[in-house]
Amino acid sequence: MTPALAGLAGRLKTILGPGGVITDPVRLRTYECDGLAYHRATPAIVVLPETTEQVAAVVRACDETGTPFVARGSGTGLSGGALPRTDGVLIVTSRMRRIIEIDVAGRRAVVEPGVTNLAITEAARPYGYYYAPDPSSQQICSIGGNVAENSGGAHCLKYGFTVNHVLAIELVAPDGEIVRLDAADPGYDLLGAFIGSEGTLGIATKITVRLSRAPEVVTTLLAAFRDVEAGGRAVSAIIGAGIVPAAIEMMDALAIEAAEAAVRCDYPPGAGAVLIVELDGPSAEVAHQFAQVDRICRDCEAFELRVADDPAERAAIWKGRKSAFAAVGRISPAYLVQDGVVPRTSLPAVLAGIEKLSARYGIRVANVFHAGDGNLHPLVLFDDTEEGAGERAERVSSEILDLCISHGGSITGEHGVGVDKSRYMPKMFTAEDLDTMQLVRCAFDPKGLSNPGKIFPTPRLCGEVPGVRKGVHPLVASGEAEQF
Amino acid sequence: MPPPNPPTPSTPSDPPDLSDSPGFPGPSGDALVASGVTIREAGSDDAVAGVTPRWVALPESTEEVAAVMRAAAEHDLAVVTAGSGTKLHWGPPPTRCDLMVDTCCLNEILEHVAGDLVVRVQAGVTVEALAAALAGAGQQLALDVPIEGATIGGTLATATAGPRRLRYGTARDLLIGITVVLADGTIARSGGKVVKNVAGYDLGKLFTGSQGTLGVITEATFRLHPLPAARAWVTATVPDLAGLPGLAAVAASQLEPSALEVDRPGPRAPLTVTALIEGVAADERAKATADLMGPTATITPTPPNWWSHLPTDHPTPPGTNLPPEPQIAASPDLPLAHRVPPGTDPERQAPPGTNPPPEAPVPLGEEAPPLEPRVPSEPHVADGEGFLMELRVPPGAVVRAFAAVGRAAEEAGGIAVHVRGSLASAVLHLALPPDTTAPAAETFVAALRSGVAADGGRLVVWTAPPDAAARLDRWGPVGAASLMRRVRERFDPEGRMSPGRLDVGPPPAANHGA
Amino acid sequence: MDPELIKDCVHCGFCLPACPTYTLWGEEMDSPRGRIHLMKQHVEGTPLTPEMAGHFDACLGCMACVTACPSGVKYDVLIESARAEVERVHERPPADRAFRALVFSLFPYPRRLRALRLPLRLAERITPRLRPLLERLDPRLAAMAELAPPVARPIWLPPRIAARGRRRAVVGMLTGCVQAEFFPRVNAATARVLAMEGCDVVIPPGQGCCGALSVHSGRAEEAARFARRTIETFERAGVDTVIVNAAGCGSSTKEYAELLSADPAWAGRAGALRFLDFAEFLAELGPAAERHPLPMTVAYHDACHLAHAQGIRAQPRALLGAVPGLELREVPDAAMCCGSAGTYNLFQPEAARELGDRKAEQVLTVGADLLVSANPGCTMQIASAARRHGEHVQVAHTAEVLDASLRALSPKTLTRPPKPSTPRSDPSLEPAPIPASGPALDPASGPGPGRGDAGTGTVGGERAR
Repeated sequence: MTPALAGLAGRLKTILGPGGVITDPVRLRTYECDGLAYHRATPAIVVLPETTEQVAAVVRACDETGTPFVARGSGTGLSGGALPRTDGVLIVTSRMRRIIEIDVAGRRAVVEPGVTNLAITEAARPYGYYYAPDPSSQQICSIGGNVAENSGGAHCLKYGFTVNHVLAIELVAPDGEIVRLDAADPGYDLLGAFIGSEGTLGIATKITVRLSRAPEVVTTLLAAFRDVEAGGRAVSAIIGAGIVPAAIEMMDALAIEAAEAAVRCDYPPGAGAVLIVELDGPSAEVAHQFAQVDRICRDCEAFELRVADDPAERAAIWKGRKSAFAAVGRISPAYLVQDGVVPRTSLPAVLAGIEKLSARYGIRVANVFHAGDGNLHPLVLFDDTEEGAGERAERVSSEILDLCISHGGSITGEHGVGVDKSRYMPKMFTAEDLDTMQLVRCAFDPKGLSNPGKIFPTPRLCGEVPGVRKGVHPLVASGEAEQF
Repeated sequence: MPPPNPPTPSTPSDPPDLSDSPGFPGPSGDALVASGVTIREAGSDDAVAGVTPRWVALPESTEEVAAVMRAAAEHDLAVVTAGSGTKLHWGPPPTRCDLMVDTCCLNEILEHVAGDLVVRVQAGVTVEALAAALAGAGQQLALDVPIEGATIGGTLATATAGPRRLRYGTARDLLIGITVVLADGTIARSGGKVVKNVAGYDLGKLFTGSQGTLGVITEATFRLHPLPAARAWVTATVPDLAGLPGLAAVAASQLEPSALEVDRPGPRAPLTVTALIEGVAADERAKATADLMGPTATITPTPPNWWSHLPTDHPTPPGTNLPPEPQIAASPDLPLAHRVPPGTDPERQAPPGTNPPPEAPVPLGEEAPPLEPRVPSEPHVADGEGFLMELRVPPGAVVRAFAAVGRAAEEAGGIAVHVRGSLASAVLHLALPPDTTAPAAETFVAALRSGVAADGGRLVVWTAPPDAAARLDRWGPVGAASLMRRVRERFDPEGRMSPGRLDVGPPPAANHGA
Repeated sequence: MDPELIKDCVHCGFCLPACPTYTLWGEEMDSPRGRIHLMKQHVEGTPLTPEMAGHFDACLGCMACVTACPSGVKYDVLIESARAEVERVHERPPADRAFRALVFSLFPYPRRLRALRLPLRLAERITPRLRPLLERLDPRLAAMAELAPPVARPIWLPPRIAARGRRRAVVGMLTGCVQAEFFPRVNAATARVLAMEGCDVVIPPGQGCCGALSVHSGRAEEAARFARRTIETFERAGVDTVIVNAAGCGSSTKEYAELLSADPAWAGRAGALRFLDFAEFLAELGPAAERHPLPMTVAYHDACHLAHAQGIRAQPRALLGAVPGLELREVPDAAMCCGSAGTYNLFQPEAARELGDRKAEQVLTVGADLLVSANPGCTMQIASAARRHGEHVQVAHTAEVLDASLRALSPKTLTRPPKPSTPRSDPSLEPAPIPASGPALDPASGPGPGRGDAGTGTVGGERAR
């Protein structure tokens, strides 16, 4: 550790007490990666603050010493968004996990960032409410991480993402100032811009979320098809009928095989694809829509249909789907997960394209996807002990994203860009687009200390944004900012 | 902490620099014309909150907007963007205004893939034109706009929304991609045309509510929803605030109303609450909703005449705001706790065969009637002459907010404040009589802000007559004021985009960060 | 610490919320994912530092993470090998060494435990005054004193009990060390229920420790020694199915084949014996005896070594739920460890106490008449946590509840503190299938006035035998 960092560590200990600062190398290394273990960097210092004021004091110390910092919640992200800096401080919110308020009348809850997504739902459940966004990792992912990544989940087709359910945020800006962003504020929707900024605009320390009324009825239907194509036709027909299900999920044969191996989910034998359709809402509406979905699936040659109305039966249907990611470990020594999105009508073409890629490179691809919103999670399977397999898998993975972009889609639907996909950003956006995004970054974080190196491939420094702007920047002129 | 930005006095910009433009076109005008974009000289009809620009540009594409903006940048022209002008008088006037970019010719629907439930439009397309085009495919942009004729660009820039914000959210929730042109002519896009997308910063959010101060919105992509199979409105009236919580409970029910609106023409007037039920089983759910809303509840196939209108646009005189003729009796089996009006028999309000059967909710589809078919029956208050305010509180505080409005009106000498808006989302529009004096308005605003401060309420003054406007803090304290200023300075370092139209101030230091 | 097993962890973090120490401290290195990362560092060449050893020691071994893991990581195997490595290479401070030596020379030996009875009885009276002193001296000693259960009157169990009615099975029964010494009524109830359900119950005398405490503390050799002895004992008894009523013993006996895998002959002998949990066995056997009503509310606590290590959750609930009139209630956050965890509450008293407080608080919110669990450690832990806060939690083993139902006893026999009892059998207590025992073997523990009254942490009211 450099003397400067050692000095900073001492200062941080006065802020947090010795128990809140980690400098032991063995301990530090356990923080070297988040849920994407492929990228690793051991942080110089880890801090575990318990209050907003402590976070602000830590960030001020970083600002004053020019030390980069990275925020981390539960460390479950899949894009390396919480990858530490070896020359920086990792600010972990796992001790900020108080549920400050459940306001039933106002249908909102105020929580600290380390509270897990599911904990909010559990706290609200006795009142008949829940927190709608439900990423697969909901039992462990923190709401602070959800805010950073604008997390979605299986049910975001109907209910939207984190950004649609967060009403206010208290944050520590990269200069250490404590700011409150509120959906009720006039002017720019900074709240909306902050959500999904992957920790590059500051650290959320208090989050007000909307609570949703638990639906009267939830019905889950599992339909088995001979192939993905038939399942895809059913999805199009359901959407075409004007139905917005809470979720429509599809798994292909290989993904089903993995899930069976891991959790014995007991899906219909011989299925080339299964479709999970969940309908929720007022009972009269659900009953009507269920009849429609049932007919559509039969029309699309579903050879087996199962229906679940109670939580245990629903859990049985979801079991295979929810375990799919971890399950592929059982049929393949190693795998990469992608998170591309395509317009729903392009799904058949893109899936055919993925099949071709798979054949060309001799790499198996299991497909699990949110069919309703075109969010693909191709699991690219390979054997890491086999020479060159990793490279081929990388190539397949990368070409799948190219395929998504060429169909007008996106490189990430819910995992975030992080470090993992920043290199694809120039394929999706022009230099002007990225430079414009940098303007937001520079407004919040002119020194570039908050989670540097994420989202943007090679960010320009805040002083060198090109364009025809004239004269000296007012902040530079006033001495508030430096050009560097 | 920099000192708060004082509310900008509404002094019009200096007259155009005549050395630069001895007549149209002049050097900067030449440059504008040279951009290849249609340019015309501005007239008094083009005034922006009383400030008249020199030129009006009529670009037809994002590239043309960029060309005009580059020319404006070269000649240091201050730019205001206008759609159809329905809200151009909202907010403080610009401190400078040389060029108006009129988006009327950016009026194409660029792409509508029905199977994807996504549409990409130019900013000048009106909400009505878009709705008509989408209805053909049985789809809709689920965004109610309270003023007829508004464009997509203007709706985004002012972040306006209507009743169905409860179910579908507002423009920012439906916007999935945006194209903007910055002050220097840079064309930037963010988002895309897929609903689920977290790549990069969401510039669409940033530009929502930006009042033209960050750049020109030229294109927007939205997620769409299927048109509901049927709609029904359930209306109930309560004499005073005591009855409001019971009605607000509808929002918390499992009946999933798409909207829950309230209208109160004056501080002591009764409150009318209307819920909108949409979907396949709308009639059945409407009946259940009526049960919840008590004995005065009636179900109608069309909205009440004030629905999705601002109180200024359609002020309903007290006493005329009665619910429409009952179409169907309220619940036949009311719980005993509900008050039954004297002389009515709760058991037999709608005996079969004696009353016409309940009118079925209107089926919607290709021949669906537009959602707002009504023509305001009251004279429209001329632009800039009336008071229009927007009050937002947390939903749990909405009854207290009504009480606070009443107290503030009292304190200001008994102003007849008309309140209308979303009961469930607690976004309320307030109309003050146009003859309210400036000091009274000032007292009202200050009293109401302090009255809702404990609940974290916000009051924005969108329009006010000039003498009152000069004295009013339009925005009230905003926690993110300094971040907003820093963002604006990055996007528009020369301060040429709608300068002065969105100068918000921070809260007092004591409340800061609270 | 098998690198292949370490590699199975994909770092998803699903284990974090299940982990008691992560819940307490919010630190990565005190989570299963973090501990696996530490193991990885170690196998990649980082020496075992005192910090590393501390984080392994801090693991309760509750195995809730094994249940939570979607990738099937064998954390149970990993942490046991890590503990063994700690024991092998890590030099503990002298005070730690002395305390550990005390515990491991005491608990696995029933006779030594028995010898403790007198001092413990004395301690019951002086603990309140002694506590501050012990706390200052070593919080671990204080924890030991506080957890010590009230001294129970021993119950002699005959070597063989005949099935009541038609014989459906012949089973062995493991009496355990702590269970046998401190909770003899649980063993008696277990034997009675098995017999009433139609089993010949073989209870070989002179059983020792099964090795659970040792194997869960990284003392593999010691554990193997105990395992071999246990296997021999039951081989000699001539049974192939052995019923275990303590969750911790159940999980370690089920792992004998793995523990002894280095020696194929012994591994084979281990594999030939089938160790089954009491509830697991009864659920498999199906009911035969009549269940009499027990009108009471019961909260069921999942012992970690039953729920997580053996995956036995449904069976005890089903057994309890089948008792007429008995209302079963769930404890919130049921999968979370109570902090007892074998010897954990002795070695890590602060963390154990905090977890115990949380668990007791949640148990109390349920408002049940009785807390039922299948592990003596859990019941001691939760009852003593409640006691610290001036609350009273009445506890019982699943076997005792079934016993009461099968014998048509009143619920009060389970909820009332035990009365001083006479050693003689009372004919009115029939049907008591176990042959009447003679007076206790240990003269020191003969009946005495007031002795049984001290107990709040144990099952109350069950009359002798």
